[in-house]
Amino acid sequence: MSFVLTMAVAATATGVEMLEALAIVLAVGITRGFRDALVGGLAAVVGVVALCVVLGPVLLARFDLDVLRIIVGSLLLLFGLEWLRKGILRMAGQRRRSSSYVEFTEERSALGAQAPPGDGADWAARLVAFKGVFLEGLEVGLIVFALGEAPGHLAPALAGAALALALVSAIGIVLHEPLRRVPETQLKLGVGIALTAFGCFFAAEGLGVEWPLGDAALLYLAALFAFTAWLEIRRLTRPRALVEAT
Amino acid sequence: MLGSLRRLILGETWTVPLGVGAALALATLLRVVVSDGTWDWVGGFCLALLVVAALACSLRTPS
Repeated sequence: MSFVLTMAVAATATGVEMLEALAIVLAVGITRGFRDALVGGLAAVVGVVALCVVLGPVLLARFDLDVLRIIVGSLLLLFGLEWLRKGILRMAGQRRRSSSYVEFTEERSALGAQAPPGDGADWAARLVAFKGVFLEGLEVGLIVFALGEAPGHLAPALAGAALALALVSAIGIVLHEPLRRVPETQLKLGVGIALTAFGCFFAAEGLGVEWPLGDAALLYLAALFAFTAWLEIRRLTRPRALVEAT
Repeated sequence: MLGSLRRLILGETWTVPLGVGAALALATLLRVVVSDGTWDWVGGFCLALLVVAALACSLRTPS
């Protein structure tokens, strides 16, 4: 069960990040040319992979397993709670809904306003693609590292990321319409719940906790955070509904 | 770029990192106070409730 759960969370979390990176590469490609967009994007991917390959083994070798679990748990809690907070605000209508399509159109109009260079490399376009893909890629790397740190979890975390890469690449080939149809707000809220559950699970294990029911604790932790999110969405939505009714 | 990196790790507000830090610090303190046997079984639930409290505080603080 733990294998499937880790893979599903890794696939969804990294998939959403890859979708955002894809939106930036598409926007740069359509407005300034795909050659420069791909050069910037691929350079960022190489940078992120190199960083993970160099830093990953150093971190694993340097820290005790319990300390590493607390570090990884804290990172997952930071990501998870931030996604959960934004997801709750979006679902309650207090923040704009998440959409890679909107990001794509905004990036496209921003780039379209600048004049591209006549000949040679378009460094501005390459830099925009590099920055976008590097930051999203770094998040993908951190999520895979954090989920894959526990013994036996690296394979499902990598498999999930690979699955997400295949799916997002397919979306990239078919282009715009699927980008518009992805229910990102709900997906991100779900990922926030899952990452917070994993973060709480690992951080507590690092502090010496033995979870009742073992890995199944992830399920009741996710249920607790989902219930909290539902309560908060209701709390934030209610005053507006009352005002509209009167 | 540095600003984006800070937002990537710590998020948009300080309430989430402060809440996570406070939850972990309180959990560590509780671990010292209660006996090992008790902590092994209830420690996880204490941390989960502290995380819920951190989330609730972050939603009640203006960003």
